[in-house]
This record gives sequence, structure tokens and C-alpha cells, in this order.
Amino acid sequence: MAKPIYTPRVNNNDDQVQIIGLAVAVGDRVEPGQVLAEVETDKSIAEVESDQEGYVLDILHPLDAHAPVGSVLMWIGETRDEPVPEPVETAPEAAAIATGRPTAKARMLLRRHGLSADRVPASGERLSAADVEAWLARQGTAGAAAARPAATLPAPEVPGEAVPLSAEEQGMVHTVTWHRDQAVAAYLERPYDAAVWEQAAADYARRQGLMLSPLLSLMAYRLVELARERPKINATLVGGQRYQYAPVNLGFTVQAGDTLYLTVVRDAGALDLGGFIDALGQVQRHAMGHKLRPEETQGATLGFSSMARWGVARHIPVLPPHTALMVAHAATGPDGRAILGASYDHRVLSGFDVARLLQDLAKPPAFA
Amino acid sequence: MDLNPDAIRQAIRDKVMELARNLGYDASGLQDDDIIPATGLLDSAAILELVVWYEGAYDLSIAQEEINIDNLGSVNAMTGFLLQRKAAGGG
Repeated sequence: MAKPIYTPRVNNNDDQVQIIGLAVAVGDRVEPGQVLAEVETDKSIAEVESDQEGYVLDILHPLDAHAPVGSVLMWIGETRDEPVPEPVETAPEAAAIATGRPTAKARMLLRRHGLSADRVPASGERLSAADVEAWLARQGTAGAAAARPAATLPAPEVPGEAVPLSAEEQGMVHTVTWHRDQAVAAYLERPYDAAVWEQAAADYARRQGLMLSPLLSLMAYRLVELARERPKINATLVGGQRYQYAPVNLGFTVQAGDTLYLTVVRDAGALDLGGFIDALGQVQRHAMGHKLRPEETQGATLGFSSMARWGVARHIPVLPPHTALMVAHAATGPDGRAILGASYDHRVLSGFDVARLLQDLAKPPAFA
Repeated sequence: MDLNPDAIRQAIRDKVMELARNLGYDASGLQDDDIIPATGLLDSAAILELVVWYEGAYDLSIAQEEINIDNLGSVNAMTGFLLQRKAAGGG
């Protein structure tokens, strides 16, 4: 029978701890006394040890998450394939951004970077150092995040050097860890005639006198329209229920130098097409200048990603935290066909939902 | 900041070549009057990257609606737009 490992209390005054290291993965065998994870508050760090032997069945709080004290951190079973009780969900960050009183460590970081607390959103009741570091990372402030203790995995036997991750790389670890540990990610794709979309974009550009091809903007806007019509694709899972976001906050990937940003056009569903193209152009420019504003990096409720410019014919995107859909646009093949794909959280969307979405997204509407 | 027209053209050409190289293209044959989006050397994102670099390099602020062929479509257009802005005392 599966037994829980609980998130420990580290300080009397802290009701949350941050998971700063995971020393095991699902399926690993563990022994009594073995370190499973490291947790941190603003005051101290503690190790979480296993009190039994067995196998890790599930990990409910990903790396960097703020976990409530007493919540189940992971489940240990006698065999690898035991059933696991339903995981406990936490509320999505995208729904609201609270600004809390900064902790001492957060105040120190704010001072160091000349920031005021009201510029940085808090993920919990209080603004933590991790919130400030994450915010700095989103602004492209490389190296702002202090090197965190590495997860206590044993070092490889082959000689090498441990290189601390940049703030951006840490953010990516957080995203892929959410995708792995929280979502039940699946992927679908369908071929489509890319020339039809390219023609629609060329016609629109000519009518509007645009210098830049609006192809990706038009496709992203079509996705926003479909999300407005079908709230289910603009959702996540919270506490066993589908949480349908009120606004459509479109996440759109932008590669700026070596940094990949997930930029966000907030409340994109409230914009008309011209306004959306302008707004997306602005966030792209801010990303390329590494000058994204906080609201341009937070709260994505669904996503769109293209790797067409690199000639990539197919890619399976990672779901941003607390989203259920990320559409993947790819390069057109020599036969004029291309692939439109989507990663999705199978807890929220069925394959049918996504197939229907891709079918509709494959055909451009008549843009005015 | 060097506002000599030849220096501006060279700097723009160098930047276009760098951005094109990132996408796997050789832009060494680019002529100053070539319409950059029509050459296929840069995609939309790369052209935006060029605009962001241009703003930073020459201390300019360009509105979204100013990103058009007349103002920024070629090396010569970008050079002319910049000199016109600076002559008017604008940034």
C-alpha cells in the first residue's frame, strides 16, 4: 500500500517551503534514511528523508514549487506499479497575481537590484527571494539568481565540472518539471496545406501595407478566437476540476539570442486583429531587447510556438505551467505540406478536442 | 554613435549578415536598395530583431506603425530614416 512522505515544517512561522532539490525520480528505489528532497524557507534548508524502503510512485510538488507544510510531497510504494491516490492540486498562478509583503531575503535582493516590491508579483502570501529571482530571470537578468544548492543526486563517476544554471535555465527546469510531474502530457499532429495560410497572410499584409509577414500573428489570433469559443482549451486542472480561465492570455515563444522567452499577450481575446498584431509585435520587440515587463511574461493560459524559422519540420512543445494546450507550428516541407501539432494535458482535453481544434486551425478564416 | 551615412550603411549590412547567418543564409550579396523582407534572407522575427538593434544602436524609438517598407525596408531606407530623425532632433 502506498505511503505518503509529507512536506516538513522547517520553521515555526513558515507554512510553506520551497522544493529546492529532488534527489529521486518516479520509479526509483529508496532505502530508509535516504535523502529524497531538499526544502528551503528564507531561514533554513532541510533534507527530507525516506522512512521506509520501496519505490517512488509519484512526486506531487515539482522542483522550485512552494509546497504547503503537511501536504503530500511524494508517495512511496512496496512495488513500482502500485496505484497512487489522487494528487492534491495547488491553485494556478495564472489566475491572479498577488503582491505580498517581502521576506527579509527578498528585501535584500530588491535593494540589490534597485526594485520596489510592488513591481514583483508574489507566488504566495509573501514575496519571497525566489519570486524576485524568477522575476529577474524573466527580465533577462542573467546571473541574478543566486546559485542554489544542487539536488542531492550522487555525482556521476565520470570526472567533470558542475556549472550552475543561469536564471533562464532554472526557469526552463521549472517548466519542464511541471510538464513532467503535473500534466499528463500527450501530443497530436495533423498535416495541412501551408500555402493556404501563407496566401491569407500575404493578402492581409498587402491590404494593410505591412512590412512583416503576419503569418504567425494571424495563426496565433485564430487560436485565441478558437479559445474564446471553446473555453475548455483555455483551462487547467485544479483540485479535480477543470479551471477555465476568464481571459485568454496567449503565450508565444520568442527566441532572443540564446534565451527562449514565453511572452504573454494578456487578455488577447479582448483585442481586435489589428490590436493583437500590434500587441504581439510589442512583446516580441521587448523580448528581443530583453526588456519584457512582468505582465508580458506571466499568466499564460495557452500557448503557441513556432520553430519554422529553424527549418524544424516537427516539434513537441513543453506545456507551460498551468496550461492545457500548446500549439506547435513547423516548417513547410518541399511538397507544400506542413505539420500543425499540439501538446495537451490529457486531464483537461481529449484527443478529439485537440484534433478538432487543429482541424479548424488548419484553415484560415476570412480576415477583414 | 557614428552618423556618417557610409558607416551607418555598413553597420546595417553587418547586422543583416549576422542575422541571416543565424538562419543559415549568406547575405553578403545584399544591395543597399534591396527590399530586405523580399530577399527572404530574414524572416519577420529577424527583421524585428534588426529593428530592436537599430533602435538601441542609434538611440531611436520607433512606433509600431513606423515599421514599414518606406522607412525601414532597405539599407538605404533605414539610413535615410535615421538621418532624417536625427536632423529633426528626434530620438
